[in-house]
Amino acid sequence: MKITALLVLKAAPEATDPVILANASDVSHFGYFQRSSVKEFVVFVGRTVASRTPPSQRQSVQHEEYKVHAYNRNGLCAVGFMDDHYPVRSAFSLLNQVIDEYQKSFGETWRSAKEDSSQPWPYLAQALTKFQDPAEADKLLKIQRELDETKIILHKTIDSVLARGEKLDSLVEKSSDLSMASQMFYKQAKKTNSCCTIL
Amino acid sequence: MQSRHGQSSYRDRTEEFFGIVETLRRSIAPAAAANNVPYGGGRREDPRSAVANQSEFKKRAAVIGLAISQTSQKLSKLAQLAKRSSVFDDPTREIQELTAVIKQEISSLNSALIDLQAVRNSHNDERTISRDTTTHSATVVDDLKNRLMDTTKEFKDVLTLRTENMKIHEIRRQRFTSNPSKESTNPFVRQRPLASKPAASQPAPLPWASSSSSSSSQLVPRRQGEAESSPLLQQSQQQQQQMVPLQDTYMESRAEALHNVESTIHELSNIFTQLATMVSQQGEIAIRIDQNMEDTLANVEGAQSQLARYLNSISSNRWLMIKIFFVLIAFLMVFLFFVA
Repeated sequence: MKITALLVLKAAPEATDPVILANASDVSHFGYFQRSSVKEFVVFVGRTVASRTPPSQRQSVQHEEYKVHAYNRNGLCAVGFMDDHYPVRSAFSLLNQVIDEYQKSFGETWRSAKEDSSQPWPYLAQALTKFQDPAEADKLLKIQRELDETKIILHKTIDSVLARGEKLDSLVEKSSDLSMASQMFYKQAKKTNSCCTIL
Repeated sequence: MQSRHGQSSYRDRTEEFFGIVETLRRSIAPAAAANNVPYGGGRREDPRSAVANQSEFKKRAAVIGLAISQTSQKLSKLAQLAKRSSVFDDPTREIQELTAVIKQEISSLNSALIDLQAVRNSHNDERTISRDTTTHSATVVDDLKNRLMDTTKEFKDVLTLRTENMKIHEIRRQRFTSNPSKESTNPFVRQRPLASKPAASQPAPLPWASSSSSSSSQLVPRRQGEAESSPLLQQSQQQQQQMVPLQDTYMESRAEALHNVESTIHELSNIFTQLATMVSQQGEIAIRIDQNMEDTLANVEGAQSQLARYLNSISSNRWLMIKIFFVLIAFLMVFLFFVA
């Protein structure tokens, strides 16, 4: 359940390559010498996929062991590199959030970008680490997970309530026996007391 | 006046038209004559015009009745066509034409009936007629109206039957052809695309099948992760055709997740109500236990008081003295008895 990279690109019209606006990648689990080549690979594949995603469309491409998810909204394209286990829906909701955040923070300035911007965007790096767990990105997943936990807790509660019920049943039997016995005791005592003549 | 059997696309009303023209001519002639001789010869013209008007009314009523019966015949044919619903042999166009024809006829019959009623009213105003004639004409008009209403109702039933059948066709088609496209199932909007789809699908199945097979083969490598970088461009091209299903898949998965969440919440509510029921039942049990213990306490206290009294009674000396006295007396008696 890993995100390897997140990219925001400006999807130019068909002929030119998309322009990278922000890039965040997590290559820590590769060896030191492979890191730069992995970064290049991410850039290249991101550009290709973004150029082939039509506007207002979502797309998922399988590439070696990564799934590349792309979401193009009116020319602003977000691309994510995730592994196979990452749920598709969380991926797209994450891309949605990234695009919204980008538009909020940068407005429309990205439309005039002509070359790859090299400044890192801290939000993207934060998002990369925060959303390694798909539940963070997808609220539905989080809600589902919490509901499942609640259900488990409730099942345990019901089991304990059943045990309590059994104990209460045994208690009620014992207490009824006790009341019977005490009643016999009382009658006996009264009998010996009422009979006047003592031998 | 007989309509042609089979798929007739029009109805021959020329004879009706001629009949109406004749009646109009006949009614215009006495009306013109009455206008020319306004009040003098009005009386004399009246019976003739009355008779002419009456016969015109009768002719019109007869024409309308005939038209209604023909319309109902057409309607029964339409009902048969709508009922005969197999998925492949769909007589859509004929049904549509027949529906349009019947609708037209019904509207024209409606207007003719209104005209007839107007004519009758104008006749009633023009001349003095017997009461029987009035009731007769009123009855005739009402009867025609009822028949037209029945025909309209049948027409509506047939139309609803037709829409239901279309819906069933659509469901069956979706189930068996497993098409990724999700078109709207409005049957009346779809009728033309339906008619043209068999024609269009003939040249189109090959790219379609190839794209669907490529999309299905797409899913398999995706699950196993075996695609290489060189087919990447090929995949991107194929995904153009796969775009709409993916969009739907995304939405569908979201919808499914929401359904899951909703069902989970329902289960949770069930569990809570069960919990509440169990706890309330156990509350009753606890109250019973409490009562039992109180009874026990009361019994034991009573018993203890009894025993205390008994102890007192045993340890007190009163009875003892009486008993000793009696024993002494008894000994004295025995002693005296035996000695004396």
